[in-house]
Amino acid sequence: MTDLVAIISDNWLLLLVGQYPNGPLGGLACTLILSILGIALAFPLSVLIALARTSKWRLLSWPATALVYGARGVPLLMIILWVYFLVPALIGRNVSGFTTMVCTLVIYEAAFLAEVVRSGIQALPRGQMEAARALGHNYLGAMWSVVLPQALYNVMPSMLSQFVSTIKETTLGYVINVHELTFAASQVNNQLLTKPFHVFFILAVIYFIVCWSLTQLAEWLERRIATKRRGVSTVRPAVDAENIVSPIATDRPVPVRSIS
Amino acid sequence: MISFSKVNKWYGDYHALVDVTARVNKGEVVVVCGPSGSGKSTLIRTVNRLEEIQSGELTFDGRSVHAPMSGSELNKLRSHIGFVFQSFNLFPHMSVVENVMFSPIRVNSMGKSEARDKALSLLERVGLASKAGAYPAQLSGGQQQRVAIARALAMEPPAMLFDEPTSALDPEMVGEVLAVMRSLANDGMTMMCVTHEMGFAREVADCVWFMDAGSILEVADPQTFFKQPQHPRAQRFLSDLRTH
Repeated sequence: MTDLVAIISDNWLLLLVGQYPNGPLGGLACTLILSILGIALAFPLSVLIALARTSKWRLLSWPATALVYGARGVPLLMIILWVYFLVPALIGRNVSGFTTMVCTLVIYEAAFLAEVVRSGIQALPRGQMEAARALGHNYLGAMWSVVLPQALYNVMPSMLSQFVSTIKETTLGYVINVHELTFAASQVNNQLLTKPFHVFFILAVIYFIVCWSLTQLAEWLERRIATKRRGVSTVRPAVDAENIVSPIATDRPVPVRSIS
Repeated sequence: MISFSKVNKWYGDYHALVDVTARVNKGEVVVVCGPSGSGKSTLIRTVNRLEEIQSGELTFDGRSVHAPMSGSELNKLRSHIGFVFQSFNLFPHMSVVENVMFSPIRVNSMGKSEARDKALSLLERVGLASKAGAYPAQLSGGQQQRVAIARALAMEPPAMLFDEPTSALDPEMVGEVLAVMRSLANDGMTMMCVTHEMGFAREVADCVWFMDAGSILEVADPQTFFKQPQHPRAQRFLSDLRTH
């Protein structure tokens, strides 16, 4: 225990921001920036990919499908190495590990997230789109205002899993010298040499806290929406409001909320 | 107002609508009845082109619905045709008043406060002004269907189509929806209703169309249809209805 405290008090700055300001911003800060950029860019992109994939126009649906199948078919680490070595060779100048990591992460995660979004769109009763079209809304307008708000809400648990896995996949930046949290921890480990369990235990705790916070945020958001339209909808099974929360809170019972 | 001329539709090999020729005049209430699978819903869904047809002509208010047209022309045409679904299809993420305001604002670019006033007066008309702030999930089926009618009326359509509006309702809620439809009919709305409510047909309809196997077999005023149906299939249908 005292060892843990000692390691943290000696290395907290390195774990928090890496070599900054004497070197690149690293550590937890870098991990968070990678995660936030990854999620913030992948999410809107995934909606576009999902729309393209459900489109009746092959010009849109085929490339989107190819991207999804491609991303699903190969490991992320392999894409990272590919991009890291190939892109500079192709464009003739260096690309930083950080940029490589953000781009790869966004494309890879967007492809997976797109499948989640597509499942939400296609699980919604057709009557919703038909009702909007019958009232004179165009396809994109109906999609944006009627289908997506419901579809995205319904797939929030799966999207959250994907967001969390984005955070965890930032660790792969380690192999292309991105100075994120795992990189910082292994620097600490290399200095100490004899305390790998302590160092990597601290690392695990930090990752857990970050991922857990995101889970809590999503749960809070979901509760807020569910409260707003208490009892949720008739187009979904009545138990959904409760059930949809439970996959997230795996480690504790779901609080029973009253349905009016 | 709505006229079908030799309309044919196939689902693959299945001939869903067979040479349908009929018309709904302005201000008229037409009830379409017939056994399930006879093509009633398909027929009504071709009017606002939720279903395509393969041959024939269908005009609404003088415009050919299935003629080649741009997406925005079709949207505009649809916005003039009120459609009420069996399963209500209210937007569950919007409150009742938002459901009614949504299309006038987005499709007709109406101002928000004007749209709200209009929505509230329409909700008043269907007896649900007190539910304006509620969400669809908090309403009974009958109330949801009345909101759906108000939502369709908000676009000020010259005609309303009803696709089995009471079939998904508990028996005690059928009456409130039929009452709203009856008052619409009394106000002179042109209506085409697919329904199994023979009482409503008898009382409100100007004309009954009997369909089977994709064809309209009989067109008659309700008195004649219910007392002396001409077509043997219609006679059988009505006697089956009476036996239980």
